[in-house]
Amino acid sequence: MRLRNTDKEELVKQKAIELIIKDGLEGFSMNKLARACNISVATPYIYYKDRDDLIMKVAMEELRVMEEAFIKDFDPEEPFEQGLRKQWENRYRYARENPGMNQFFDQLRSSSYQEEFLSGFMTGFISAMTRFMHNITARGEIETMPFEVYWSIAFGTLYNLIRFDMEGKSLAGKPFKMTDEILWKAFDLVVKSLKK
Amino acid sequence: METAIDFNHILLFKTNISSNKGKQRLHSILDKHPAVQCWNIDMEDSDYVLRIISETLSHTQIIEIINHHGYQCCELT
Repeated sequence: MRLRNTDKEELVKQKAIELIIKDGLEGFSMNKLARACNISVATPYIYYKDRDDLIMKVAMEELRVMEEAFIKDFDPEEPFEQGLRKQWENRYRYARENPGMNQFFDQLRSSSYQEEFLSGFMTGFISAMTRFMHNITARGEIETMPFEVYWSIAFGTLYNLIRFDMEGKSLAGKPFKMTDEILWKAFDLVVKSLKK
Repeated sequence: METAIDFNHILLFKTNISSNKGKQRLHSILDKHPAVQCWNIDMEDSDYVLRIISETLSHTQIIEIINHHGYQCCELT
């Protein structure tokens, strides 16, 4: 009698993420996954139809987790600085609590899964962020600019600092450790550059 | 729906069906089989894993059908 074993299912999922981060999508197979989990080759196929099904389902589930973390207590009607501060807090916390997930999503973004991946990309989150940008532009808090420019200025700095922090070094191997002081100093500068 | 499946009805096999021709053959065998709810084959895996969902068929019955069409097939354990 085969019973659903949620521990095993979770193990399969976690190992899949680990392997994809470590070896990329090209090197990922159900066989390797089963070996890494120390389970029979058949087990992953009980939960997932095939390799593609596994990758898509795991990615979608992780996207939902990320979306929830990003929009937690975020109100798109808030003024620019408060709203952006909440976004920085949420995104920074998520990155700290889920190290490696950025690499996991990067693997997917640069692969043939991109189209499917992006089409399911956090619709609730996107509409909240679009609404926020619309509001702050309409209220004249920031200049009118293409979304991509806004996004790059609003979050590019944060993501770069997070990457330096994860890697423990910045340019030319210079040691780097994020502190609250650095984070919020950077935030102030970003706010200053975007504010009208 | 995939989520409502009784896990006991998932039958898994290691095969040597590595070509599209082989896959086409499977379509002609399994698509219209009244006892097969759904099936797929993982062509990207080195075991060419055939996954069949059926409430009534046994591993042995599937193996016989696949063997009969000239392909190797054994239960994936």
